[in-house]
Amino acid sequence: MDESAKRLLQRLMRRIPTQTLPGALEKWARLTTDQQKSMDFTQSKWALTEKLLAICEENELSVRQLADLEMIHIIDNPDKGMWYAFQLVDPEDDAKSVELMQFKEQFKSHLKELVRNVSIKMKKHTDEAVWIRIAWGDTFSQPNHLKPTYVVHYLQTPYVFVTGITSKQKPLLSQALVLSTRYQAIKDANLSGRKLTAIRDLLMKKYQQVFPTKYPIPPPENNPNISNQHIEKEQAELAANRLQMAREAFGGGMLPQLQSAVYKLETKFRDHSNKTMTEREEPFRCVVKFTSTNLLESFRHCASSGIASTPVTPLLSCIPLKGRNYFVITDNGPGPSSQVCQPQV
Amino acid sequence: MSLLKPFSKLPGLNSANVLLVESEEQFQQSLADRLVEETAFTVNVRLAKSLPLPLENDESRPRIDLVVFIINLTSELSLQSAEASLKYLDHRYFLGKVSFMVTNARNAKAPGERLDAVRKLAASLHCPLLFAEDQTPDGATNATERLLTILKVAAGLVPMATALYLSNLTRSTVVQDIDQPSFD
Repeated sequence: MDESAKRLLQRLMRRIPTQTLPGALEKWARLTTDQQKSMDFTQSKWALTEKLLAICEENELSVRQLADLEMIHIIDNPDKGMWYAFQLVDPEDDAKSVELMQFKEQFKSHLKELVRNVSIKMKKHTDEAVWIRIAWGDTFSQPNHLKPTYVVHYLQTPYVFVTGITSKQKPLLSQALVLSTRYQAIKDANLSGRKLTAIRDLLMKKYQQVFPTKYPIPPPENNPNISNQHIEKEQAELAANRLQMAREAFGGGMLPQLQSAVYKLETKFRDHSNKTMTEREEPFRCVVKFTSTNLLESFRHCASSGIASTPVTPLLSCIPLKGRNYFVITDNGPGPSSQVCQPQV
Repeated sequence: MSLLKPFSKLPGLNSANVLLVESEEQFQQSLADRLVEETAFTVNVRLAKSLPLPLENDESRPRIDLVVFIINLTSELSLQSAEASLKYLDHRYFLGKVSFMVTNARNAKAPGERLDAVRKLAASLHCPLLFAEDQTPDGATNATERLLTILKVAAGLVPMATALYLSNLTRSTVVQDIDQPSFD
């Protein structure tokens, strides 16, 4: 086993917590049953690393096989690291019929044409997602397995999620993706976050949607404590209206755990009490950032409890509507016009 | 202006009606659950976020004996909502049929000025000011007991005591610094 493989294994052992290690090793299936049994998971991490290093030497495992282990771990724990969402635009006629084998071959061949030394692993997950792990090298050096890029693409949808990519590698990846999925271009979806599951559910609308109805069926009694006939709420109808509007804007049930939203304001300063600032011609630039453990749930609660006025302002409701969490607000006309102001990299 | 009037309806037999007004709509629910457990007489609790109350409920609403404003000292909105709601009460309520209940007074996030403002408000309206602890069930039970004492008198269920008489004894006062004895 060479140096790079050893370093990769050590890094992996640092990242994978001891609870998930036995499961990951079993899925990896590169250890014989005897070797698996001989690993004592109550020892310290350092001791485990040494043991595993010895076993891998014995089995003569290479870097590529170790990369498999890393991929297994990341697929099972996708909520670490910063994920960015991209959207493919302008499909060709046969974009909808791209199937797995075709996509795999095309992507590998296109990327290998663009980059001399690159190591690609592709895996299909049970829920229609294709996971791609890319270790980048160049004409003079071997692929660097310590800084891989992970890409998740859902076939037949225009959505791609990427983590761990630098600005130099982005155009190469974009080119390969565009050619292999039969679209004409790829653009930034302005959605990023730490939890892949959250941004995926938000963009692909995989949560309960509530649609406006003229005669809403009252929701099932979720406050059993109000059943006492001596307690009566005076403003129950107003509260129910607010709740309905909040659910229409953000969705019902469990919401994707989005953790931040950023608004970049480039509007003119407006405050009648402050003449000096209002008289300036240039727009007043400021950035507003909302963070929370579950941002959409907080917004929905603000709207249903009356802290935020209903109907919900389009500035907030376009987060779930458009599936974005980065907005640039300028002064054109009434209401916010959010423009994609990303420098194309 | 849709004022809430205290004496425009007939009272019920052996019952007391209390209106809890709270902007956050949290503590009022636990208070209500405990208030209705009273067995000596029937307690009817009406919950509201703010006044004015919707006109549709006017017919079915019983005569309200006591209005309690629950103010959370950590939130400025809570105080402002309570102050705005005061305008919708008929002036005869302020003869002992209004009470203020304040939560989170010991919380570090509550600025001292807000408590002073509530004190001044209660003193100027001649209303009692109660302090409640809303985080534990014991605190809610304690607050309920104190509230029931005032409610019983306001509903006329205590012989020889009226709400106006009780309010003279329980009304909040603001202590002026000049009156404090100096120890120099």
